[in-house]
Amino acid sequence: MAGTAVLGRLTTGWQVAEVVDVVKETPRVCTLALSADGWPGHGAGQHLDVRLTAPDGYQAQRSYSIASPPGEPPAITVERLEDGEVSPYLAGELRAGDRIEIRGPIGGWFVWEPALGGPLLLVGGGSGVVPLMAMARLRAAEGSDVPARLLLSSRSWEDVIYRDELAALADAPAGLEVVHTLTRSQPEGWSGYARRVDESLLREVAWPAEAGAQAFVCGPTAFVETVASGLVTLGYPPERVKTERFGATG
Amino acid sequence: MSFFTRGFEGRRRDEAPEGRVPPGQYLTEGFPVLSAGPTPRTPLEQWTFTVESGAEPVRWTWDEFQALPRESVTVDIHCVTRWSKLDTVWEGVSVDTLLEAVDHDASYVLAFCDGGYTTNLPLEDVTDGKAWVAFGYDGEALDPEHGGPARLLVPHLYFWKSAKWVRGLRLLDDDEPGFWESNGYHLRGDPWREQRYWGD
Amino acid sequence: MTARTEELRLDGNALGGALLALLGPEGTATVGTCGSCGARGELALLVVYVRCPGIVGRCPACDEVLVRVVEGPDRTWVTLAGLRTLELPRA
Repeated sequence: MAGTAVLGRLTTGWQVAEVVDVVKETPRVCTLALSADGWPGHGAGQHLDVRLTAPDGYQAQRSYSIASPPGEPPAITVERLEDGEVSPYLAGELRAGDRIEIRGPIGGWFVWEPALGGPLLLVGGGSGVVPLMAMARLRAAEGSDVPARLLLSSRSWEDVIYRDELAALADAPAGLEVVHTLTRSQPEGWSGYARRVDESLLREVAWPAEAGAQAFVCGPTAFVETVASGLVTLGYPPERVKTERFGATG
Repeated sequence: MSFFTRGFEGRRRDEAPEGRVPPGQYLTEGFPVLSAGPTPRTPLEQWTFTVESGAEPVRWTWDEFQALPRESVTVDIHCVTRWSKLDTVWEGVSVDTLLEAVDHDASYVLAFCDGGYTTNLPLEDVTDGKAWVAFGYDGEALDPEHGGPARLLVPHLYFWKSAKWVRGLRLLDDDEPGFWESNGYHLRGDPWREQRYWGD
Repeated sequence: MTARTEELRLDGNALGGALLALLGPEGTATVGTCGSCGARGELALLVVYVRCPGIVGRCPACDEVLVRVVEGPDRTWVTLAGLRTLELPRA
């Protein structure tokens, strides 16, 4: 029976996963902890595809980055987009005990592990932080002291995904450096960055080009391209800037 | 395929007026932009429309094209990605008008476009008032993101046949699969028979 | 409500799932050579358009179509005609 299940996954790619837990991260974002038989393990930065099937057979499919580090079962973090078709279901209706179809892990290029070294520059826009968080969690789990810095752009303090965990990672010895920018509203007394990431912000926050950092940039297409070209302008070789663009349709 | 996701309905499909929405489609109020590539930007001074039939091609400049008899039509459109939009208003030149300019005995057409996109159709699906080259949508000039300056409009077939940024029609004796028809999408694409993929 | 074309433009990471059966989980690290301009790089670098109605991957240097994928109900259609050569890294 177990052999048949594995064979099914290998031939079609799709397998059934059970939702073990639904954790609310922010008003619009939740993390779904999944359990999938025979999950082969994943790398930090990989994603999986989710497929939903309505009673009349209609299917919808989307990709979500894996938030959990390698070695743990897959977990995805989903932002509910107002006009979305899939995300309002995943981050609104889905409950522990429900089952969804997934396919993965996927991705051989936008991945990091401590053996690849650093310094590491992670730049995320909104839910673009998800694959970067898998990298940060892996770094912490392995006690790596590869210098690492995360620049995270969010709409407001309430919208910062993994906010408390990021603070804890930053507090740890040789911890991840975390720099926030809040683009739409800031809490009273905020003295941090309060605008969209631009070249001058990158110049202040990113490792200088001479440091030879490896950058991972993730978020909406416009964000990724502004940041990637900004880093190249600062002197980062293009092959040291890895990018993953998220679609706007949910 | 027997796996269903509890509580997932997809977009609502129960608001459609009787007989207006083909099977498996849902209504949209918006007008989704779907594209296989960057938006071409051919200046109108360089734009031409050509009908190729083996003999000398017939070609119109933008100004010549604008001088042709035009029609305003209100049609429903259906995309193979499942959205349908009712009562869309277009302005354009009927393909019948364009084909009157050539002598031919072709059975098929291949529409070709800026950016390299192509789509094939049986001649009978673009004649007798079934197809236009449209340059106006909803009372205004057709937006480049929606195929402007001009796109093919063949509303009785799935909307991938309504090729954006169309620049001409090639008349053929044999059917020649276009960009998507050569990679899994149905050669004809009748939404009322759900002809989405090869073998449907 | 129209989505801006820019937001529909993704990268080759978005091809990975559709090509999973063909290239495996690390398929986006496959290196391709454009048959049109000769540019060479990982498939993750392709300019990708999704749901248009299928998936199209274009050369980041010259915009030529390199990959076309359509996922149907019981099969996936793939055209790689625009690619000249694939290189599959071995561990």
